[in-house]
Amino acid sequence: MKALTFSLLAEPEERLDLSGLAPASLAGLTALQIARLRVGTGRDPVLAGDVFKITGKDADSVIIEGSSSRLDRVGSGLGGGSIRVTGNVGHQAGRSMSGGSLHIEGNAGDHAGSGMIGGRIEIRGNAADNAGAPLAGEIIGMQGGILIIRGKAGNYAGDRLRRGTIAILKGCGDYAGYRMIAGTIVVTGGVGAMPGYLMKRGSLLFDRHPEHLVPTFMPCGQPDIAFSGLFDRFLIDENIMTRPLLGQRPGRYGGDNAVSGKGEVLFRRGR
Amino acid sequence: MSVAWIGSQPVSLMDAIRNAAKLLASSRCPVFTLDTDVHGTRSAIALAERLRGAYDHRMGEVLAREIALYSNSGGMFTTPGEARRRSGLIVLVGEIPAAHHDLLQAWAASQPDLGDRGKRTWFHIHGEAGVTKLARQLKAVALGAEDLSLSGALAVLRAELQGRQAGVSLANTAQLRKALARSRFPVFVFSGDSGDAPSLAMLQGLVADLNKTGRASSVFLPADDDAWGAALTSLWMTGFPPRTGFSNSLPSYDPVRWDVQRMIRDKEADLHVWVSARGCETPPKGGKVTVICLSCTEAPAAGAAVTIAVGKAGVDHDGVAYSSRVGTFHAIAATAPSLLPSVCSIVQQLAGALPGRKALPC
Repeated sequence: MKALTFSLLAEPEERLDLSGLAPASLAGLTALQIARLRVGTGRDPVLAGDVFKITGKDADSVIIEGSSSRLDRVGSGLGGGSIRVTGNVGHQAGRSMSGGSLHIEGNAGDHAGSGMIGGRIEIRGNAADNAGAPLAGEIIGMQGGILIIRGKAGNYAGDRLRRGTIAILKGCGDYAGYRMIAGTIVVTGGVGAMPGYLMKRGSLLFDRHPEHLVPTFMPCGQPDIAFSGLFDRFLIDENIMTRPLLGQRPGRYGGDNAVSGKGEVLFRRGR
Repeated sequence: MSVAWIGSQPVSLMDAIRNAAKLLASSRCPVFTLDTDVHGTRSAIALAERLRGAYDHRMGEVLAREIALYSNSGGMFTTPGEARRRSGLIVLVGEIPAAHHDLLQAWAASQPDLGDRGKRTWFHIHGEAGVTKLARQLKAVALGAEDLSLSGALAVLRAELQGRQAGVSLANTAQLRKALARSRFPVFVFSGDSGDAPSLAMLQGLVADLNKTGRASSVFLPADDDAWGAALTSLWMTGFPPRTGFSNSLPSYDPVRWDVQRMIRDKEADLHVWVSARGCETPPKGGKVTVICLSCTEAPAAGAAVTIAVGKAGVDHDGVAYSSRVGTFHAIAATAPSLLPSVCSIVQQLAGALPGRKALPC
């Protein structure tokens, strides 16, 4: 059965909320019912059939063809199945996702993977600020799953991360791992200012010595630990990286001493 | 003197209202930028709700940072009056807006009469910008280090006060530690302009740490009193601060999505209602949206489809505004009463001219 495909007809005039185009919500709906789903967020909200050409029937595998930074909340609440987007998406992609996979071939807006508790998000382009971070007023960020950003990430990546892994492969902005509670953030490429600010626990893994570390992180030598080898293998097995990130005996900083100081920054030495 | 214009042509107020109402009724996504007194803010929010639009404050960026401290981190706050009467140790954090300098200088000229006794001691935590002019005037002891940002300085100070290691040390931390031990109610004074959101969160963590062994608090002096007043008014009306939208008729707060300047830049909004009855500013040029301008102006705003001159609260008519000095709203009497209409009355007329002709609740 062919994947259920939503082909964007034109750049939408208003921001669209595509949280309803997830496999669980679409299962059992007729083509007419799907076309009548409300996706617009303006005064006279548009319906799915107004902005997309809808083809295919397999609701377990959804394809969104097209690219617009106004496609918000793609894969929000996704619990199973897969969604693939052929271009850019807007804010809150994969928000509160608990399972399944979301593959975005372009860039993502703010709060990609926000509040995620399971599943896998892969963004081939860049992600804006607050990847994996909580929304205003929430106290817990990402709680599980894997968020892979193959381009750059903006500021505050992994804010209040509690569990799970965020991998950013072309560098990130300031305050990566801000207020991290636990979990792991991997960054290859340049890292902005103050990574790990207010970090309580968890691991920040870099492919080079961080240039602008918080002054309350203290050097802890080059521990000979099994974790780096294990995690390198995990990154390769998950097709996140093709070669080891940390290598043998990575450098280590502990912090943030302004709070509990139980977090760590591990980095590949010699770069 | 004309008070209403369509384009650059002077018209009667009723014609301008009718024209503006037509634009509002036909708009797909109206957005409001507010900078007015409490009554004006309330009526504009009520109109935004009716039109399923969104609203922001003219100082939305700094206001969002101040709000983020409350919504994302929380903190321990006291009023300026309590700080003045109880605290013998004041720690200034970063740059304090000039509007609050008189208040702090008045504190410096007085002594606490409850809690702490004797002359007040001042400290100043600074970042790369160095010691501020106000801190020098108050003879505050500097806490900082060369090339260290304010967020870095606050992190180091917090670690040092807990006896933990840091990669650099701040000047005069030992002196602060002694002063903290002596004071019964140390107070940290900061503003939304003092630092970025993480710095403010770190500061509140530091205050919370001090409260494990004694008492300490902070005084928040808004970057702009009226903007903070608009935030409180908005909270009162909708449960959310500015950068709230009503796309599905219920209010939703999203500081990214409802950032009105971003919405105009990204061409999501098609109508911009610019309300500036305080600074009398005209809407920023360059946008391609239709503009309705309510401003204390004597000439039509360049590029606006409709301009209506309004009076200033506290000058042309009485009003209510927020004062950080007293920590609440206060009445302001007109100093030069005039016949210029208030923002509230114009917005009510706009609502009355919309299809359905329903009056606003406020």
